[in-house]
Amino acid sequence: MRNVGIVGVGHTKFGKSELPFIDMVCAAALEAMDDAGAKTGNKNVINQVFVGTMGAGMVSRISGIASAVVDTLNIRPAMAETIENGPASGASAIKLGYMAIASGMCDCVLVIGAEGMRAVSGWEGTDFVATMLHPEGEYKYGLTLPAFAGLFTRLCMDKYGLESRDLSIVSVKNHANACKNPCAHIQAPVVLERITNKAYINATNPIVADPLRQYDMCPVSDGAAAVLLVAEDKKAELGFGDKKFVKIAGIGSATDTHVVANREVPSDLLAVRLSAEMAYKMAGVGPADIDVAELHDAFQILEIAESEEVGFFKRGEGHIAARNGETALNGSKPINTSGGLKAKGHPLGATGVSQVVELVRQLRGEAGERQIPDAKTGLAVNFGGFGNNVVSTILTTK
Amino acid sequence: MDQMYAYKCTKCGKLHHPRYVVCQNPECDGREFEKLPLEGKCRLLTWTRVYNLPEGYMCPWLNFGIVEFENGVRVTGQIGFDEEIESGMELNATIGVVREKSILYKETVTAPQYGFIFQKA
Repeated sequence: MRNVGIVGVGHTKFGKSELPFIDMVCAAALEAMDDAGAKTGNKNVINQVFVGTMGAGMVSRISGIASAVVDTLNIRPAMAETIENGPASGASAIKLGYMAIASGMCDCVLVIGAEGMRAVSGWEGTDFVATMLHPEGEYKYGLTLPAFAGLFTRLCMDKYGLESRDLSIVSVKNHANACKNPCAHIQAPVVLERITNKAYINATNPIVADPLRQYDMCPVSDGAAAVLLVAEDKKAELGFGDKKFVKIAGIGSATDTHVVANREVPSDLLAVRLSAEMAYKMAGVGPADIDVAELHDAFQILEIAESEEVGFFKRGEGHIAARNGETALNGSKPINTSGGLKAKGHPLGATGVSQVVELVRQLRGEAGERQIPDAKTGLAVNFGGFGNNVVSTILTTK
Repeated sequence: MDQMYAYKCTKCGKLHHPRYVVCQNPECDGREFEKLPLEGKCRLLTWTRVYNLPEGYMCPWLNFGIVEFENGVRVTGQIGFDEEIESGMELNATIGVVREKSILYKETVTAPQYGFIFQKA
């Protein structure tokens, strides 16, 4: 198969976007194109555009966003498709971009992930996200994603002795990292004592979905991120010869039962494990080779559980590694250097691409104050549904 | 009042909930199911109390749980009481209104939807 890699990245500041949705999507795209030196109009070399978004049609009321982007950016007649895989839409779009180039059909693919979530009320937003749950077995009850995270967290607490404070430790770490990321939605340090002290915890960190508190879950954000993929054998010919090439070494994706209750072990995230194993196998690496990881911490419990499922720590010991600081910037296995979904923000379709942008910045040595010294190989896990469709991506400069 | 069912594969006997199109037993390819009423005694595996509910619920919070019936079928539903909820407790699965209205094809359908509401055993 051909080698495929990234030569350009773009990322809007996550949060409440002041731009119309298409402008926000194009801002990320143009930043990635400019980073790579890709031209528009007659000099365009992009064959294909994929836009990963869960609800552009449903929430932002714009369907066919990929077609709109190609026209707005003046890169017609490039092929264009909008990709939906819930909150893993971004990583799925990158996967399809990889496949398009690896197959030989395309040489250069622009992938954008985007979501505008602040355009609607909290109620509507919660309902929109919940539509990915099983309609008969889950959604109709009023269940939401935070509800499933609460149910899952309690299972892990009962089974592994994980405590509410462990979730706060992960949250504090990710907030600290986000303070060093100019693209992050929330750039404010959080003090562990302030969100865990029993005397005032219900005021500073109220329960949202028992046992989960406000600081145990991500905020609601708008945002877009983009990467430009090229075939290594065409890199020079297409005009990207002098650009750093971050290789996509492995991609894995796997599905699990739609109904969470029907999983053989409801406290496991099987699709995370299977997708990571597939990505490791393709890349010819293992968990020990990963220098930096972006894990899908829509809820802090997920960072802990995923860190176990991808093989960094033994099952049931992820929270102990977090307690010991092993996942901090200066730890042995830095996780969510970007601030994670917790503090960088989680515009659903943007997240998978945003994770890969962070890895590219780390592997190029351009991550500023949050740089992991000498990072060569990174892993991103993008989690769709409540874990029923997960995409893992491994990048390397080795 | 609507009845809730376990769906029994007529080929291998595996019980399902909710309804599937193809039997979930990896060794079976059954596509026909017999409906067996599902309610009564069950055990709570995990629960949560949610304060941020989707549109349409005019209450400050709702309790949700995943239970396992004696026949091994697991279902998710609402918990109909607030006090002394504990994982592992015995419950009684009843059937009641779990959503007053739902939005289908841009039209608000006000017909209530029925589902599991777990009560103290």
